[in-house]
Amino acid sequence: MIELSLNEVEALAARAARGAGFSWGLADDVGRAARVLAGDGADWSASLLALLERAPRLVSPGAREGKPLCPVRMAAYLNDAPIETSALALRDVALPVWLDALLRTQGLWRVETDLRAATADATLTRGASAAPPGARRAAISRCAYDALNALAARLYVPESDRSRTRGAGGGRVDED
Amino acid sequence: MTIAPRQPDVAMRLKRMGASHPTRLSFLRALIRRVEGERWRLARARFELDDDGYGQAVYSLRTPSRTYSLVAFSTRLDDSRRTDRVIADAWDSSFVLYDGLPDAAELTRLQANVPLQEAGRYTARELVLARANKSVRQFMAVIDALAKGEQPDGQELLRVGYLLRTTAVYGNGKFGIADRDEFADRPEFSGPFQAEMLTVWLIRAFAFDLVEHIAARRNPAAARLAPGLRRALGVGNATGLGMAPFLVRHPVLVHNWFAARETALARVRSAPDAGTQECEAFAAALLEFQARVAVWRTQDAQQARACEALVADLELLSREAPRLLREAQPWDALYRFAEAHFSLEGQEACVALLLEPHGALVDDLCETMSADERHGHRIDGGMTCGAMRVLVDEVYGWANAIDFATPAANARFWYVSADKLEPRLGERFEEDGAELEQPLAVARDALALARALAEEDVQTPLAEFLARRPEWRHVARRAQTAARFPYAEIRDNLIGADMRPVDILRAKLAFFGARNFDPRSDRWLRITLFSGEPGIEEICAGGRAA
Repeated sequence: MIELSLNEVEALAARAARGAGFSWGLADDVGRAARVLAGDGADWSASLLALLERAPRLVSPGAREGKPLCPVRMAAYLNDAPIETSALALRDVALPVWLDALLRTQGLWRVETDLRAATADATLTRGASAAPPGARRAAISRCAYDALNALAARLYVPESDRSRTRGAGGGRVDED
Repeated sequence: MTIAPRQPDVAMRLKRMGASHPTRLSFLRALIRRVEGERWRLARARFELDDDGYGQAVYSLRTPSRTYSLVAFSTRLDDSRRTDRVIADAWDSSFVLYDGLPDAAELTRLQANVPLQEAGRYTARELVLARANKSVRQFMAVIDALAKGEQPDGQELLRVGYLLRTTAVYGNGKFGIADRDEFADRPEFSGPFQAEMLTVWLIRAFAFDLVEHIAARRNPAAARLAPGLRRALGVGNATGLGMAPFLVRHPVLVHNWFAARETALARVRSAPDAGTQECEAFAAALLEFQARVAVWRTQDAQQARACEALVADLELLSREAPRLLREAQPWDALYRFAEAHFSLEGQEACVALLLEPHGALVDDLCETMSADERHGHRIDGGMTCGAMRVLVDEVYGWANAIDFATPAANARFWYVSADKLEPRLGERFEEDGAELEQPLAVARDALALARALAEEDVQTPLAEFLARRPEWRHVARRAQTAARFPYAEIRDNLIGADMRPVDILRAKLAFFGARNFDPRSDRWLRITLFSGEPGIEEICAGGRAA
């Protein structure tokens, strides 16, 4: 196992989410939610890999098409939107652990659901969840670490001679 | 009359940011004041270096409530491997700032990791990770002179300005070190980059000990480095592109830095008169500034011209200041004179000089310069698309001056290289990789968001728009943040053909307290930190090993 700081969790999760196809803004949200899960001491990396694997087949709020709902896009909408009602029922939320984690980053909604489920219904009520994150460090297996970094690596431009000489350096070096 | 702070349209232009000078609000100055005021104590807890200066050293620093240690490893490095780029994999020396005093087992763990830098792993006991290379020109020359019982050639030495130069100083959870959240509630580290500045200040003390140790091993009667040279030498630093994305990614923090400086300037300009003490302190600061500019060395043609203009500006200032300081609101008169007659370099030097005598009036602003950036995360999705479009137009009105239909305005793209994740800048129309552009083209993207919003019904809530168009989420979030924090944005095109990344780097480095800016290309520069400042070993003398 590798021990990570929570900032590493957030940065790695956001990059992997972007590499897997989430927009920059949603990828940032996934990073913050991963930090919440890591703070719970949960197996955030396995949950994240499951999310990123399924994300292309999930639907956004409003467009149901009979497929499970993307927990990230749903939670982002709920975090943004001025919803008047005090309770909401959601059907077929994929990996509801992410719905819960993203909503906890803003503290506007409490979620009742089976957090271990692959897909489940969820009931939302107004208010912040109790129990602020406790753990200050996170663990990750080498295998999950490599898998998330492989997704993050989709954002990196491959090395070339021109990039190496001109992309960051140039000028004179090291003669001092 | 109360003078308003300079507006973001003035303060946040890249050319002016690229003329920034350190002020008394700069982070290393704030650190020095605290360490001096709280009477911290420094001791060399271990100093196990061989005749050539290779080995390890531990410096322990006692604050009123805690102990911190600099753990230093000095290792042999083949000249051919000495590079300042992020892509290096070995260095002359490597360091951590450790929370407490490490025992033998901890030192063994650190020894196995710290010299590897990014390839090692760290724990929450390590607050900062850093490495440094020697000045090829000066390091041995200083030792040779000291070993002969002589002082090194001061002019040659100060032409370089340092013995060691750091090539990276990592904080905030990188590679497993402590998250900033872990210790940001300690008063000594509540300000921005205080742990990093402390590390660099301790590295400066180590550099002096290192050359004196090697000289003394060669000749027990070797000289010690003269106090004047110690005072003048700083720690070098090679600063690359990576700092530019940092500034763009931390808009609330950037706002707080610039708002503090601009508020300080406005307070000083609003003062009704100039006291004798302040006038004397100003004159002394001006003389010192002129002396520093006289030895400011750069081979960058643009910076060299800016330095020449600065010399002329400061001469004019020293002639005119006595007259201007007799006017009503004298500091404002002085600033307005600078604005009317000086280069940008001279105007920004004047800002630093105006703040210098006014610690009692401005130093409290240091407490406002950190940021809890979670505040910038919530998107107000209840805002209508119509209102959001008005907001974007207001916040990014300056961007309309850029014509993104022209290739020159789109010439560059920021990216992350697969090679050690080094941040780089590419030419969009000449190189591959633009599809992997990082989201740093703030002006272009804000204007594009405004166009996308224009296609929506004005009553549509932003939350609904973003649910359908998540690709705009980061731009919308940023715009709402920038609306609340007016100094959050650099008000220029960050992907234009004529953009000089060194301007962004210099602005950030000036807030750190850096001097002797020496651009080595348009995308990296050398600086020194702590040059001209007292040593931590002087201020904290008299400590006993913990």
